[in-house]
Amino acid sequence: MNRQEKEQYLREYEVLKKKGKPFFPYAIMKDSVMALIVVVVISVMAIWLGAEQGPKADPTTTTYVPRPEWYLFFLFEVLRVVKPPELVPLATVGVPTICMVLLLLLPFYDRNPERNPLKRPIATTAGILTIVSMAFLTFLGAVAGSPTQIDLEVAPEYEAGKLVAAQSGCLACHQFAENGNNGPGPELTEIGSRLPAAAISRSLIIGPGIMPSYSNLREEEPEKFDDLVLFLASLNGEEEPQEEQETGVGASGELEPDAGSDVEP
Amino acid sequence: MSRFEKLLPPPMRRPAKPGEGDGHVGTNGKTSAANGEVTALKEQDGNGARTDDAGARVVEKAKDAPADLVGWVDERMGGTSFLTAMLLRKVPKGTNWFYTLGSATLFAFVVQALTGVFLAMYYTPSTVEAYASITYLTNDVFMGEFVRGMHKWGASVMVILVFVHMARTFFFGAYKYPRELNWVIGVVLLILTMVMGFTGYLLPFDQRSYWATIVGVNINGTAPILGPYLSDFLRAGPEFGATTLQRFYAIHMLLLPGAIIGLIGAHLYLVVKMGTTAPPWIRADRKPKDARTQEVDAIPVATNGHRDGSATTNGADPSDDERAAR
Repeated sequence: MNRQEKEQYLREYEVLKKKGKPFFPYAIMKDSVMALIVVVVISVMAIWLGAEQGPKADPTTTTYVPRPEWYLFFLFEVLRVVKPPELVPLATVGVPTICMVLLLLLPFYDRNPERNPLKRPIATTAGILTIVSMAFLTFLGAVAGSPTQIDLEVAPEYEAGKLVAAQSGCLACHQFAENGNNGPGPELTEIGSRLPAAAISRSLIIGPGIMPSYSNLREEEPEKFDDLVLFLASLNGEEEPQEEQETGVGASGELEPDAGSDVEP
Repeated sequence: MSRFEKLLPPPMRRPAKPGEGDGHVGTNGKTSAANGEVTALKEQDGNGARTDDAGARVVEKAKDAPADLVGWVDERMGGTSFLTAMLLRKVPKGTNWFYTLGSATLFAFVVQALTGVFLAMYYTPSTVEAYASITYLTNDVFMGEFVRGMHKWGASVMVILVFVHMARTFFFGAYKYPRELNWVIGVVLLILTMVMGFTGYLLPFDQRSYWATIVGVNINGTAPILGPYLSDFLRAGPEFGATTLQRFYAIHMLLLPGAIIGLIGAHLYLVVKMGTTAPPWIRADRKPKDARTQEVDAIPVATNGHRDGSATTNGADPSDDERAAR
């Protein structure tokens, strides 16, 4: 806005203010009604929906769903959209930071003196698109359940590991053929053909990127952890898992020095 | 004096214009000295007419008590002129229900603060006892589950209100000159509200909150350069440990509320100082749009104010609302 536009706005505002009503009691009445509505809505939600307590936090557990509160779903869903490992920082920090900066600096790059939304087509369209996309991402996050069933056909010796994988929340972020969510983590249907068992084991222990570490599982229940590694390593995309996949598996974290050091599961 | 102004204690009313007084000279509390004189006069009257019913005098005094109290405080603090300016400042023509979203957000925050204090009385921020203290609060404390529910769902309501309030500001163009700074403060408040949600989510210390926080902290850790330090700061070390929960608790109930209260203060100060916007479709004059723009274009800035006769600087007028509000 140049000086003339600024002065014109201030003048017009003074006139509108003169024609307005005093804050007390007109605006305060509306505010009070709204405050009452807010407290009634919160109370009704508190009574109706309650505040149930989930099971106690257990770092050694294998049954959990790492899901944020619903109003952070849209941030979490961005992670599902961005796939390549080298772009993960972009999705986790880059996009939200850019959005925050854009929001913060809005008055400084939107120099249009016009205020009527109908006469600011670009700004109004951008605003509506932002709301729609955030609502859409929130909706995706809400419906993305975490199945606890893996339908892959595996040899009997890997069934135990399959059960561990199904119950350990892997499906919240990884896809196994038809089951699980496609992201933020990569698809694991054929993970055995990409990574050796030792690398898989190492990834489970360190928890690369945003993935939680499974080192507690290894310490508390090493046989379950080994089953899990064996099962994952057996997934090489072939119908019948081959016997030799089992050989060379480092049980419970016996790692080759540099195995999997460049791997993002 | 508007009919609603009578609801205010006399010292907070605007001084009556000359010739408009309703006979009760002195009760308008122009100065606190005047108040004192009035009281003294009344006492004299009472002493002079001893046959008066003592009860009537007590009633008379009791009626004046609120005004006297406000006057007494005002004499020592001088807040009534500020309050009067706050309450009687004019909001622009066309102000509608959309303009209640900000105060609704503020009220949601007040609900969070009050219920949060209640929860803090029972909560133990240690990994060993946190879960049990919530169980006790939920099951055994009177109204415990209700208050915890209010805090839990109040957070969602507050986040929704923050976003709707921001959407209103955006679509009404209310972030433009001269209110850019208030938009910036508002965005910071939005971010702090989201961080509130993130830090508060861990405190119940159940499975959901624990693992969501692990992932959330890992997400912070993927940021270039600063990420790992931020994660270490949030976890109070390289791994999630006993002090992590206390750290989240301190951030959630000391650091962030302090920052939010301070910024809300700045936000409100600017709202009162700059005034709330009028809806963008409301125009100051009823002239046809074309004529108006032509006029504005044609007349130099310096003389433009005469167009309406009241738009720019006025002479001193004690009843002028805008002046009173400054």
